[in-house]
Amino acid sequence: MHDIYQFVSGPLARLAFTVFVIGSLYRLVQMFVLVYRKEKFIFSFMSWKYSLRSIFHWIIPFAAVNMQQQPIMTLVTFTFHICLLVTPVFLLSHAVLWEERWNIRLWSLPDQLSDIMTLAVIGCCFFFWGRRIKLPEVRYLTFASDYALLGMVAAPFVTGLIAYHQWIDYPFFMILHILSGEILLMAVPFTRLSHMLFWPFTRAYMGSEFGNVRHARDW
Amino acid sequence: MKKQALSLLISVLASVCISAAACAQDNMTAVDNRVFEKPERTRAVFRHESHNERAKIDVCNECHHVMKDGKKLEHESSEDKRCSDCHGLADSGETPSLRKAFHLNCRGCHEKSGKGPVMCGECHPKEDR
Repeated sequence: MHDIYQFVSGPLARLAFTVFVIGSLYRLVQMFVLVYRKEKFIFSFMSWKYSLRSIFHWIIPFAAVNMQQQPIMTLVTFTFHICLLVTPVFLLSHAVLWEERWNIRLWSLPDQLSDIMTLAVIGCCFFFWGRRIKLPEVRYLTFASDYALLGMVAAPFVTGLIAYHQWIDYPFFMILHILSGEILLMAVPFTRLSHMLFWPFTRAYMGSEFGNVRHARDW
Repeated sequence: MKKQALSLLISVLASVCISAAACAQDNMTAVDNRVFEKPERTRAVFRHESHNERAKIDVCNECHHVMKDGKKLEHESSEDKRCSDCHGLADSGETPSLRKAFHLNCRGCHEKSGKGPVMCGECHPKEDR
């Protein structure tokens, strides 16, 4: 078991971070190259003002009309994204690893709060899953892989919760936790999870087109 | 006569103290964490005697080291001191914090030798033992 742990927490962890960083940079460069080749004209209306205005309205809860029309989805999605990003970075156990492995000192969350945030992520995954099945307009846009992605997002949180509480087979779930986190990290640049990289550009484009071409709001 | 009685008393007291200290290590089942004001994890499981037997450690300074200018002094050991005498709660220059020192020393050795616990919960069980 320890050999597997050493492997997943050592070389595989370095590989996962490398794939995440290099893969993300590659996808961003690829996007810019594609835009330059095919739709260079969009730069004629791209604007910092409209870009930032759009980004601002879409990162504040209920600052867009669409969010006001769907209050439950708004609450769930903000809770989900905040907990998804904050918990793994500032979890106490991870903060210890950041410091002892890479000499990066961060704040850490109280464990009880991390527990609640972890449960929130898992609960939100169930919500999104139900939503994809139930709502026709979402089902229409859903691929089978989207269900797999939801599972991949939930996996590190479920296994992390089990490992932290040492409910069953601690070493096994610890390894599974690390492994599922690494798979998730490596999947970010190459799946629909890449909206983590692309969302500011999508918003900037939409904001600029609405602001400069249609002279309308995009929120 | 008085002198003899005194030296007898001293030697008895000394041996009591020494054996008490030895017993303290015999009975040691976890790392002393009293220095941490509000420990976030349970005390690390550590049975001094059986650990050293199994790990075949018979030199005290294998763990109870004395460092000078970032180097371990081969012939000096520090078992007469508490770890927290040198390692404070925060890093200080070259000296790692107490928590980091425990982790580096214990887990570092376990990783290097391929033996002993390396995952968080293996040393810090959910319930204090």
